[in-house]
Amino acid sequence: MKRFIKNIFSICAAGTLLFSCQKLDVNSPTDVATEQVFKDANGLRSALIGLYSNLQQREYYGAYYPLMADLNSDICTAGGYDIPALNEIGAHAITSSNLYVERMYLAMYKCIANANAILASVDGISDPNLSAEEKSSIKGQALAIRGMVHFDALRMFGYHWDNTSANGVPIVLTVQQAADVVTRSTVAESYTAILKDLNDANALLSGATVDAKYSNQLFVKGLLARVYLYKKDYTIAADFATSVINDGTFSLLNTEDFITIYSGRLSSESIFELSFDAQNQSVFNGTTYVRTDALRTEVFFLASQQLSDFFNARPTDKRAELVDFVNNDAGILPDGRTLKYRGEVTKDNPAYILRIAEMYLIAAEAKKLTGGGLTFLNTLRKNRGMDDLTGTDVPDATSFTNAILDEREAELNFEGHRFFDLARFQKIEEVLGVANTNSVFPIPLREITATRDQLTQNPGF
Amino acid sequence: MKNKSVLHCISSLLIIFLLSPAILTAQSYTVKGIVKDAAGSGIASVSINVKGKSAGTTSIADGSFSLQVSGPKAVLEFSSVGFKNKSVVLNAEENIVVVLQESSSQLGEVVVTGYGTQKKSNLTGAVASIGNKDFKDQPVSNLAGSIQGKLSGINVTSPSGTPGAGLLVSIRGAQNPLYVVDGIPMISESNSSLSTSFNTSGEETGQGQNISSIADINPNDIESIEILKDASSAAIYGSRASNGVVLVTTKKGKAGKTQIGFNMYSGFQKVAKKIDFLNANQFVDFINEARSNDQKLYNADNNIFGPGFDASVLTDPLNYSAGNVNTVWLDQIFRTAPVNNYEMNVKGGNEKTKFYISGGYFDQQGIVIENYFKRMNARINIDHTVTDRFTIGTNMSISKTQNRRSFNDDTYSGIVTNAIGASPLMPVYDAAGNYSKFEEYQVSWLSDNPVKSAHEIVGTTDSYRLLGSVFGEYKITNSLKFKTSWSADYVALTDKLFLSPITTDGAPIGGRATKANFNSQTWLNENILSFQKSYGKNNISALAGFTQQGTTSDRNATSGQGFPLGSDLSDVSVAAIITRTPVAPGGNNRLHSYLARVTYDYDGKYLASVAIRADGSSRFPTGKQYGYFPSFSAGWNINREKFMENSKTLTALKLRASYGFTGDQEIGDYQNKPLWQPAIYNGQSGLKPKLITDPNLTWQKNKGFNIGIDFEFWNGIISGSSDYFVNTRTDLLNYVPIAGTTGFATLLTNGGEVEDKGFEFNVTTRNISNTHFKWTTNFNITFQKNRLLKTPVDNQLLSSFNDLNPTHILKVGQPIGSFWGVKYTGVNPQTGDATFEDLDKNGTVDADDAQILGKARPDFYGGLTNTFRFNNFDMMIAAQFSSGNKVYNLIRPVYENLGYGNDGGLDQVYANNSVNSLKRWQNPGDVTDVPRASFITKNYIENSSMFVEDASFFRIRTVNIGYTFSKKSIKFLTGLHVYAQVQNLFVFTKYKGFDPEVSSNGGNIDRTAGVDYAAYPPARTFTFGFNLNL
Repeated sequence: MKRFIKNIFSICAAGTLLFSCQKLDVNSPTDVATEQVFKDANGLRSALIGLYSNLQQREYYGAYYPLMADLNSDICTAGGYDIPALNEIGAHAITSSNLYVERMYLAMYKCIANANAILASVDGISDPNLSAEEKSSIKGQALAIRGMVHFDALRMFGYHWDNTSANGVPIVLTVQQAADVVTRSTVAESYTAILKDLNDANALLSGATVDAKYSNQLFVKGLLARVYLYKKDYTIAADFATSVINDGTFSLLNTEDFITIYSGRLSSESIFELSFDAQNQSVFNGTTYVRTDALRTEVFFLASQQLSDFFNARPTDKRAELVDFVNNDAGILPDGRTLKYRGEVTKDNPAYILRIAEMYLIAAEAKKLTGGGLTFLNTLRKNRGMDDLTGTDVPDATSFTNAILDEREAELNFEGHRFFDLARFQKIEEVLGVANTNSVFPIPLREITATRDQLTQNPGF
Repeated sequence: MKNKSVLHCISSLLIIFLLSPAILTAQSYTVKGIVKDAAGSGIASVSINVKGKSAGTTSIADGSFSLQVSGPKAVLEFSSVGFKNKSVVLNAEENIVVVLQESSSQLGEVVVTGYGTQKKSNLTGAVASIGNKDFKDQPVSNLAGSIQGKLSGINVTSPSGTPGAGLLVSIRGAQNPLYVVDGIPMISESNSSLSTSFNTSGEETGQGQNISSIADINPNDIESIEILKDASSAAIYGSRASNGVVLVTTKKGKAGKTQIGFNMYSGFQKVAKKIDFLNANQFVDFINEARSNDQKLYNADNNIFGPGFDASVLTDPLNYSAGNVNTVWLDQIFRTAPVNNYEMNVKGGNEKTKFYISGGYFDQQGIVIENYFKRMNARINIDHTVTDRFTIGTNMSISKTQNRRSFNDDTYSGIVTNAIGASPLMPVYDAAGNYSKFEEYQVSWLSDNPVKSAHEIVGTTDSYRLLGSVFGEYKITNSLKFKTSWSADYVALTDKLFLSPITTDGAPIGGRATKANFNSQTWLNENILSFQKSYGKNNISALAGFTQQGTTSDRNATSGQGFPLGSDLSDVSVAAIITRTPVAPGGNNRLHSYLARVTYDYDGKYLASVAIRADGSSRFPTGKQYGYFPSFSAGWNINREKFMENSKTLTALKLRASYGFTGDQEIGDYQNKPLWQPAIYNGQSGLKPKLITDPNLTWQKNKGFNIGIDFEFWNGIISGSSDYFVNTRTDLLNYVPIAGTTGFATLLTNGGEVEDKGFEFNVTTRNISNTHFKWTTNFNITFQKNRLLKTPVDNQLLSSFNDLNPTHILKVGQPIGSFWGVKYTGVNPQTGDATFEDLDKNGTVDADDAQILGKARPDFYGGLTNTFRFNNFDMMIAAQFSSGNKVYNLIRPVYENLGYGNDGGLDQVYANNSVNSLKRWQNPGDVTDVPRASFITKNYIENSSMFVEDASFFRIRTVNIGYTFSKKSIKFLTGLHVYAQVQNLFVFTKYKGFDPEVSSNGGNIDRTAGVDYAAYPPARTFTFGFNLNL
C-alpha cells in the first residue's frame, strides 16, 4: 500500500512538472500591444503613419466618402449589379440601415480614435530623438486630421448650413473605452471644436515643410477657408482662401495640361493629395472605371445624364474631357464615366482632398459679387477654357450663386462636393426632387442601436 | 522552454519504467478458452473481463483467448456486440468453452465515451453511437456526410454540393462540434484563406465556399462514431465541448490470421435538380411583354416613370432576336461526373502486437465543369503489449487532398450564379471559336461568361495533413492504470488562385494570381490515471488527469498581376507587379486542463457519475483564463429490480438524468488585449489601432439538462430511447456592436443567452427476423426550439452578404437566424403589381415595414432507415426529413426579375427568368402569385417574404442493394460483397431552388443562416462497388 501511494505521488509529481512548464501567455507576432506603442518617438511616428493609413480606408478617402456624397447628388447615378444599398443612395432615399453609410461613419471615427491616441500621448513622450519641431508637427498633423474628419462627419450627418441647429455630430476629443458613448453636439458646438483643432494645427504647423502628401499648413488654411465658408463666416473664409492662393506654393496649371492633376501625381494644384500605390491601392478606379469595356454592373459610380447635359452646354470647357459619355459600352449609356481615375493596372489613384481650384471658388463665393468674387471665378474659368463672365451674365446675387454652383460642379465633380453644395444652398428639394430633410445622410441605425438610443436620428429618417 | 518540456517528458517516462518491475504480484494463473456461437463457430472480438478487475482481453478470429486470472474462483464476464452477456464462474479450470446466445439487444454494446468506454446499459448521459456497418461504402468525402439522418438530435446538412465541401453539423441546435479522432482533438474548420467571394471591385462580400478539413479523414477507416450530446457526457471535454463532441474511433488490428481487405466503388454523379429557364423565344416574348405593359402605363400617365423619362426605350426595336441560338446555360456548366474510390487495408497481429494498415484514394469530380476533390491517405494503427502491464501503441494518419475549387461558389459572381442569369441568346463561343463576350448580349448580372470562368479561373487548395499519436499505458495495480499520450496534428496547405489574362477581371491587369500558405501544428499531451474496482456489488471507476495542448499556425499570402500573354504561366513569382494581400495572420494558443471523473454503480442497477474539468486558456485575459465545468448524472436500470427482472415483454428499461456545464473558447487567438496593427502610408510602415478589448472577457458557459429513458421490448425486437433536453448557453462570446465613436464597431464580450430545448425519440424495430429474411427499421425524430433569451443589444439587424440590406435580425424571444424583410401580400389582380404589407400604414412600403419572416431552423427533423436481408441479398433505404425550416432564396429575385432592367434606357436585357415566370399576371383579373412583367418598374422586393420559402423536405438519401457471395462460391476469398447504390435519389419539397439544404456562406454563421445565393447544387450519385476480403 505504501508503495502504491508512493507510485501515485511520483506520477502526479512528474505530471505536475510537465504541466507547469508552459505558460498561458501568448503574443501575436504581427501586432503590438497598445501600451507598447507610445513608448518613444518611433512609436509616435508609427502611429502618425497609421493615421494616414486610416484615412485611406476604402469607406473613407479610399474612394467611398467622396463618391457616395456625389452619388447622393445629381451628377452621379448608381451602377453595380442592382445593389439595393447603392441604389437607394442614388435615389436620394437612404435608409438608416444602409451598410455603406454605416461603414463610412465607422471609418471616420476610426481615424478620430487614431488621432486621439496620438494627441493623448504626444505631450507625455520625452525622447531625446524627438525635437520640439517634430513634436509640434506631429501634433499639428493629428489635430488637422481630427478637425477634417469631424468636419467631414458634420457635413455628411449634421445640419452644417444651420448654425442654430441641434443636429451636429459627436465630437470625440479623448481616447474612448469600449462602453463610452459620445452623443451629438449642436452644430455650433461642432463648428467650435472643428475650428479649434484647425486653428491650433495652423499655429503648430507654421514654418514646417509643406508636403502635399501630408496634412500641411497650407492644407489647414485651405480647410479653414472651407469650414468658414460652410459656416458662412465669409470674410474669414475669403482671407484664408486668398492667403493660400497668394502663398504661391500651389498654383493653377496651364489650360493645356491641367489634366495632369489626374493623370500625374501631386501636381502643383494639389494641396493635400492622399497617396496610394500599386501595393496599397485605392478603389477609385475599381468603382468608377474598372476597364474599357466595363458594363454598368461593374461600375458603381456612373456620371449622370445631368452631368452630360451640363457639359454639353459648356462647349469650350476643358473639364468636359474628364467625363466620357461616348466611348462607353452600350450597357452604360445614357450615363457615362468619369475619367478622373484612370489607371486600371496600378489602381493607385489618389484622393484629391484639397486643391487650389477650390480656393478660387471659395474666394469667389465668400467675396460675393459685390466684393470682387467674380475675378476669382473668372481666373479659374479662363484656366479651364471658359470665357469670362461679365456683369450681364451674372447681374445679381442669385445668378452669381448659380454660376458658383455650376463652376463647382464643373471643377469638383467626382471629388465629393456637389451634395454638400446643394445642402449648403438648401437646393436639395429643387435639384434632386426629394424633401429637404434629405440634405444629410441618416445617422446609421447601427449607432442608434449600439448606443441604446442615446444618439438621435436626423429628422425625416 | 521546449527542451524543458522534453526533459519533463523523459523524466516522467523514466519514473514509469522504474516502477514497472515493482508491481508484478499475486498468485495468478492463465485460463485458456474458446468462445462460440450457438452454431458452433468461434466469435472474434468478444471482450472478456475478470469481474471486479480491470484485467481483460478479447478473443481472436477463431474465438480463442487466454487470460490471467487472479485466483481459482474468478468470475469471467463475456460480452460482444450482437450477443447476450454471459458470466462464467471458474472452478480452477484451465480450458473452457463458452457459448454465447445471439441477442438483438444493443444494451450490451460498448460505446466510446470521453477518456474511456462504457457499456451502453451503464450510460447515464445522452450518447449517440453509430458503427462502421451503418455508414461504410457511401460516396461521401466527409465523415459527417455518412451520419446524415441516422441519429436523433443531430442535424447534418449539406450547405454546398461542391466536392470536399464542409457539412453543417448541429448537435441539439449548437453548430460546429469538437471532433476528437482517437483521442486527438482535431482542427475541423476550413484552413483555406482563398477568398471565393468578391464583387467586381475586388471587395469580399461574404465567406464563400466552406471546405472542411474533416475531409482529411477517410470515412472508411472509421470503426465507430460516438456523439456526446448532453452536457454531462461532454463536460469531460470542458472548454471545447459546448457544441457537443464527435468521437471518432478508427479501426484497430485483431489477433489472428492477417486479413486483407480491398474495397472499391465507382460511379457517376449528375445534378439532382435543375432549374428550368425560358428558352430564347419565350425570353424575347417576355421582354416584349414587359415593355408593352410599361407602354400602356406610360400612355395612361406620362409621368409614371418620373420626369425626363425617355419613352423610346419601350418602343425602340430590340437589337437582338431569338435567331437560332438557344443556350441552356446550366447544361453548359454541369456534367456527368465520375466518382471513384479505392481502398486497401491489412489487419492482423498476435497476442502481443496488433496492427491495422490502410491506404486509400478517393477521386470525386464535381458536377460543375473543372471542379474536383481528390484525397490520398494512409493509416497505421499499432498496439503492442510490452509486458503484462505495459502496452504502447500508435495511431498515425497522413493524407493529401487536392481541391480544384469552383470559383465564387455561393456568391453572386460564381459560375452557377452566372449560368443562372445568362441570356439564352448568347452562344458559349462566338463564330471565331472564342468565348462569347457577355457584354454583347447582356447588360448586367454576369461577371463573365460562366464557361470561361470555369476554365480560365483556376483556384486550388492542396493540403497535407499528419495526424498522429503515441501512447503508453501502464497497469500500476490491477485496478489502477496510468496512460500518457502525445499527439500531433500538422497541416500544410497551399491555396492558389489564378485569373488568366483573358478573364474579365484579369484582362485590364494582364492576369492576377494569389498564392497563400498555411501551416499549423497542434500538439497535445494527456496524462490520465484511472482506477476501477468492485467492492461487492459496488463498482467504482474513477479517473484523474491533466492535459496540455498548444497550437501554432502561420499564414501568408502573395498576390501579383501581369502575366505573359499566351503563356500558361500562373505562378505569382512571374507577376509583373506584386500587390499586397492582407490575410488573417497565424495564431498561437495554449490550453491547460485538469480533469476528474468518478462513476459508480450498484449492481448495474443504480448508476451515478460526477465529473469536473478545469481549463485554462491563453485566449482570455490574465486572471480570467480558468473555467470550471462540473457535471452530474444518474441512471436507474429499472429492469434489474426484482419486480421487473422476469418481464419477458419489457426486457430493459432505464431512466437517465444529467446536468452539467461545458464552455466555449472559440474566439480566435489574440483577442485578450488591445492591439495595434501594421499600417502603410506612402511606402512607410506604421501602426494603427486594431482591437479594443473587454478586460473581463472569459468563458462562455453552457448549462445542459437532459432526462432520458432507454427501453427494449422482447429482447430487442423493439428498442429505443427518448430524451428531453434544455441547453442554455450563457455569457455568450459575441461581437457586440459598440458606439462607432470609440473607433471600433464591435467588442468581443460575454453577453446574451440562448436556449435550445427539445425532445428526441429513436426506435429500432426488428420487424422480421428469420434465417432467410431480416427486416429492421430505424426511425428517429427530434423536435427542437431555439430562442434568444438575452442579448446585450436587442434588435440587431444583420446581413448575410456585405452589400445586401439586412436579411436577419437578432431579437429576444425569437430564434437565432430569424429572417427580416417586408411581407408580400400577393399580386393585385387588376394591375398585376406586387403588393406588400405597409406595417406602419404611412402609405409607402420601405425598410420600416420589415418584420420577421421565418427562421432557418427546422421545427423537427429526423430519419428513417430500413434494412432488409433476403438470403444473400441485402438492401438499405435511408431517408431524411426536416420540417419548418425556411430559406431566404435571394438568388430568385435575379432569375425572377420579371424583365426589370435595373434602370430604364437599356437596349440590352438583364437576366433570364425561370419558367416560374410563365405563371405571371398578364391580364386584369388574372389571379396568380407572380406579378406582371415590367421593364422599368421593379415589381418585387428582394428582402421580402416573396423569396422566403418553405424548405421542409423528405429526402431519400441512400438506396443500396447488395449481394454477399457464399463462402462456397468464392474459394480463395474469405468474403465478397457487391453492391449498387444511389445517393440522394429524390427530394420531396416545395422549395424552388436547387436544394432545400443548400445555404450560401457555408451556413456556418447561425445568425445569418439559411440564405441561398445559388450555392453549388448537390448531385445524385450512382455507384457500384465491392468489398473483398482475402
